[in-house]
Amino acid sequence: MPVDIANYISLSTVIFFIGVIGVVTRRNPLIVLMSIELMFNAANLAIVAFSKLWGNNAGHIFVFLVVTVAAAEAAIGLAIVVQVFRRAKHVDLDEVAGLRG
Amino acid sequence: MILFFALAIVLVASAIVTIVQKSPVYSVVSLLVNFIALAAMYFTLNAEFIGVIQIVVYTGAILVLFVFVIALLSSGIGPFSEGPDRLPKILVPALVATLAAFGFLTYGLTRVPLGTLPAHVTTSTVGDVGKANVFGSVGDFGAALFTTHLLPFEVTAFILMVAVIGVVVLGSDATIAPTHGTHVPKKKSRERESIVKAAK
Amino acid sequence: MNLAFAMTAASPALLSIWLLPLVGAIVIWTLGPQLRRNAGYLGSAFVLVSFALALANFGAAGNATGLRAPLVTWGPGFAFGLQLDALSLLWTLVITGVGGLIHIYSIGYMWTDRAIARFFAYLNFFVFSMLTLVLADNVVGLLVGWGLVGLASYFLIGFWFYKPTAVAAARKAFVINVFGDIGIMFAIFACYAATGSIAFSDIFAKAGTFSEPLVLAICIGLFIGAMAKSAQVPLHTWLPDAMEGPTPVSALIHAATMVTAGVYLIARFAPLWNLSPTAQEMVAVVGAITMVTGAILGMAQWDIKRILACSTMSQIGYMIMGVGVGAYQAGVLHFFTHAFFKAQLFLGAGLIIHALGDEQDVRKMGGLYRKMPFTFAAMLTGTLAIIGFPFFSGFYSKDAIIYEALEHGHPILFFAGALTAGITAYYMFRMLFVTFFGSYRGDVPDAMLAIAPPVPGAYAAHDDGHVEHAPTWLMQAPVAVLMVPTVIAGYLTIGGESSPWYRYFGTLFGHGGNVAGVPLAIPEWASTIFVLVLVTLGIVVAYLRYGNPPALIGAVDRLRGEALKMPPVLAHAFYVDALIATAIVRPANALGGAISRYVDPHVIDAGVRDVAWVAGMLGALFRALQTGLVRAYALTIVVGAACFIAYFAYLGTAR
Repeated sequence: MPVDIANYISLSTVIFFIGVIGVVTRRNPLIVLMSIELMFNAANLAIVAFSKLWGNNAGHIFVFLVVTVAAAEAAIGLAIVVQVFRRAKHVDLDEVAGLRG
Repeated sequence: MILFFALAIVLVASAIVTIVQKSPVYSVVSLLVNFIALAAMYFTLNAEFIGVIQIVVYTGAILVLFVFVIALLSSGIGPFSEGPDRLPKILVPALVATLAAFGFLTYGLTRVPLGTLPAHVTTSTVGDVGKANVFGSVGDFGAALFTTHLLPFEVTAFILMVAVIGVVVLGSDATIAPTHGTHVPKKKSRERESIVKAAK
Repeated sequence: MNLAFAMTAASPALLSIWLLPLVGAIVIWTLGPQLRRNAGYLGSAFVLVSFALALANFGAAGNATGLRAPLVTWGPGFAFGLQLDALSLLWTLVITGVGGLIHIYSIGYMWTDRAIARFFAYLNFFVFSMLTLVLADNVVGLLVGWGLVGLASYFLIGFWFYKPTAVAAARKAFVINVFGDIGIMFAIFACYAATGSIAFSDIFAKAGTFSEPLVLAICIGLFIGAMAKSAQVPLHTWLPDAMEGPTPVSALIHAATMVTAGVYLIARFAPLWNLSPTAQEMVAVVGAITMVTGAILGMAQWDIKRILACSTMSQIGYMIMGVGVGAYQAGVLHFFTHAFFKAQLFLGAGLIIHALGDEQDVRKMGGLYRKMPFTFAAMLTGTLAIIGFPFFSGFYSKDAIIYEALEHGHPILFFAGALTAGITAYYMFRMLFVTFFGSYRGDVPDAMLAIAPPVPGAYAAHDDGHVEHAPTWLMQAPVAVLMVPTVIAGYLTIGGESSPWYRYFGTLFGHGGNVAGVPLAIPEWASTIFVLVLVTLGIVVAYLRYGNPPALIGAVDRLRGEALKMPPVLAHAFYVDALIATAIVRPANALGGAISRYVDPHVIDAGVRDVAWVAGMLGALFRALQTGLVRAYALTIVVGAACFIAYFAYLGTAR
């Protein structure tokens, strides 16, 4: 019994929204970054599945680019976390509220 | 079929564990499981190269970076101890909004005919590229990346370079020193002048 | 835009007449500090050269078309040029001729004033403006000149700008004149709308096709301008106040030239007035009212310049009445003679004022007959001319107006004119008697009472007490020259219809004027004798009250008492100022006050404040969103994304 594309898409959606909940609810910036990685992966999964559906490998290229950008994003995000830690001595996103109006 | 559902259960479970763990170390471990399961999922979709990349870049580079940062920060005293929760009630609206979006998306997807996956994909839109003429293979991927999609590839290189510079700037001590409200005297240049004089 | 310069066709002489005073003004204005008193000689030279050129073109101007100088064409119907016909020439000669004499006189009068260069720059500028007014061959050029003379008048009335009264008078004159400009402007609009051209020749050529109400409307618009400029009731109140300016200015602008621009306007538009008997009637009646009012006000003044200002008003009333009844030649002739004798009277008054140290009150004069014989001769000549004493110039012009009023069927205006002639004789001789006869009542020492005068003012006298003064001839010569035309100018009309005067203007006006009623069968000599009787009566009354030896005894106390006994209606000049204040100024002030008190704070400011308040409230609202918490921002993004997803899900459904 072949696996339908709907299954992949549903799985992708579920993982994506798990990541969303992680971003919105967690206060530890590391876990927030990990949640973002989860969302990236969910999107990648959907892209790869569609790529197979249409027999078009442009989706693979796109996933490659997403991975690259995710790597860059993770590097910069972690660098920011380190800087925040240096200044605040602990890393709580609620403490980093310098933009409050 | 069985493989898919097994991997799907692992993926969802590990994702949930990732976001609910109190300690980031456990989260990283759970995320590792998630990434490996996802790589396996890619293989079921004829995307071998992407699966390899997934393991190499994500688990090999990004997760190691996470671990490294956790190790670095753990040298401080209570680095992840949380202060007072300023948004204690965010869970409910967050869940509501997320579930609403999820519901809308699912609803929309059910209304669109998605079609069925082909059992085997052997042709590629890139065209005849010799032995690599297999969908998802390294040759197929490489031919597409370096011919049709060369420009985005180059742009990616540029993005990575910018990221490297940004991380170097952020990581250095001098530039992020708290300078607000204090006047930084131009002592250094004057010192340099005197040094130059002395040298003469 | 068709900007065509037709300099080749332009008469260079005409251009020079027009532009020389402007060049003078610019040169004097630019080099003022270097020129100092030489500015006076330079300015006089420019004006006199202009006068000579005008005189040289006397013959050319007199023919049917006159001299023309088309200059610029802006578009179809909008051509600006100059024309010098008989009427323009007359005004040009008076402006440059009398103007030149007054320039020379001013060198002496303004000798010790530090701002003498500025004064002459203004004076030359005025001459240029006035020439623009009379030389323009189109209505727009006329209006430009009309506005510029108002501006020059404003500058010169307010010349001593450190005197608050001078500034107030200048402003009053300017505002009232601008009111008149508006009337002319609307008349020009109407003319252009009806003919599609601004040139006089085109307008007059098509005037016959105008409808009756259109002609009346144009005439009323023009007459509003004439009333303001020529100080006709009820827009006359600025003229007595304008005497705050230096006396030569009063002589040139507020007696000889500018205030007669209204007469020029009506004479220039004679083809239009001839089409509308109603408009002519209106002009004649307003002129007569002004004539009588001015004369009555003249009886109640003690300031020598104000007496002359009131007489100016009255005489312009004669002119306006003359052109109003259709006696264009007579009205213009009265302008001509009046320019001489009134300039002479003002310059004579200037001599007295100068000698007495800026004293203008005739009650503080007296007995000057022996000390200033030349001035007395000048004033006497001018007075005899203005009252229409036989064989003086005023006799011919004034008599012609009074008689032609009767001839054109206006017996009431005839009697008003004759009566005014009597009143004029009374108040002019009253001034003469009080000023020159009896004993001196002022406080200037006898030794100083010479034509070489001490002018109060710190910068006049040097430290050693030596008083610097102008050569005597500088101020006396122009007066002496003016005495000649004052006597003989009227002789031009001897011979009636075949006289040089009537032949020169005959082609211009044709037989203008309508006959409103049946002419009374009174011969001219009877009218003349009637007027002369009244004049003699005026002189006799003046002599009895002020001139005979018993009346001069104890004159100081009596004159002072007379000022107190003066009827309030006269003391307040018929309450015209008060009327204007009540009818126009106070409502305008009240309206402005009400707007500033209610509309401004409660509508305009409140509106602005409310807008600011809304912006502030919105800011406060959105500030609450800026918690600075990453999770809140993330939630916002999620909500936004949910909305997008919902929208696209809906789109998919709809499809």
